[in-house]
Amino acid sequence: MSRFAVLPIEMSGGCQCGAVRYHATRFTDNAHLCHCRMCQKAVGNLFAALVGAPKDAVTWTRGTPARFRSSAHVDRGYCRDCGTPLFYDNLEGDRISFTIGSLDEPVRFKPRTHEGIEGRMPWFFELDAINEGHATEFESEDWAAAIKASSRQHPDHDTDVWPAAGEASR
Amino acid sequence: MSLDNKPIYTGGCQCGAVRFRVEGALTNVSVCHCRMCQKAFGNFYASLATAPGGGLVWTRGEPKRFRSSNHVLRGFCAECGTPLTFEAPDGVALAIGAFDHPEEVAPVIQWGIEAKLPYVDGIPSLPGEPTEADMTSAPYLSDLVSYQHPDYDTEVWPPKREETR
Repeated sequence: MSRFAVLPIEMSGGCQCGAVRYHATRFTDNAHLCHCRMCQKAVGNLFAALVGAPKDAVTWTRGTPARFRSSAHVDRGYCRDCGTPLFYDNLEGDRISFTIGSLDEPVRFKPRTHEGIEGRMPWFFELDAINEGHATEFESEDWAAAIKASSRQHPDHDTDVWPAAGEASR
Repeated sequence: MSLDNKPIYTGGCQCGAVRFRVEGALTNVSVCHCRMCQKAFGNFYASLATAPGGGLVWTRGEPKRFRSSNHVLRGFCAECGTPLTFEAPDGVALAIGAFDHPEEVAPVIQWGIEAKLPYVDGIPSLPGEPTEADMTSAPYLSDLVSYQHPDYDTEVWPPKREETR
């Protein structure tokens, strides 16, 4: 059994291109950053940001994630079409941990803890002091407008049909 | 360092099917909070460093790419999913976590702050635990055998003696 409380949050999520979508009717109250070297490498980043959901609360609503078995006990899920890291799955456990950035409303999963701190970047705590650059629109309005107009990212809500009708072939 | 004193960086994906080498200084070492980077990386932000023009070589395999907008390709390993690149008309940026020594690639600027998640600035104050502290709830960690590529180049990968994956 999970040692974490279950949150009555219901939310969908998925990859950048929208080929894989999932829905969970409950989440565990364990949003966290994991700095271990395996999580870093799996997500190509300074840490993985993860939140659990009971496996019996999860439905794959579009497509099927690809899996890489990163060790004997763990699968890492991702979209085979666009690469978005989607989950950490302890195959013997009763919950799956989704990447918070793949959820439609990441703002609702404020992290509670740092895990795997042996792998944490030595300058990690200085990041909030680095130059806060600019909003995406600032540097080049033309650039930002072009990205917005041509973005092929799935929106942050479920869709009946995707890609949207009329979109150029992918 | 190379013979002409250029810094050398290596890295790759988790499973080792894709490996890269960079010769020359990295620029625009940054994190990007925009929603497209969040989603592409499944994270609070992307962390990226731009390779010098002509200084990037794929030494094993090559990323698969997703065109996330008309100007940008996102590269990743088709075998394990590790996000690897952000490729724009002005250069190719590599995912910092994919470097063999990411600690040498410290970000100096933040982009896309319009989408910065409100709790990100509070992250330093969260409590923390090493991986080993999780043994009671995740006892499998005690005999974990990693299939991750090591943080250096290898002549042969995966190792021949390894059982089938």
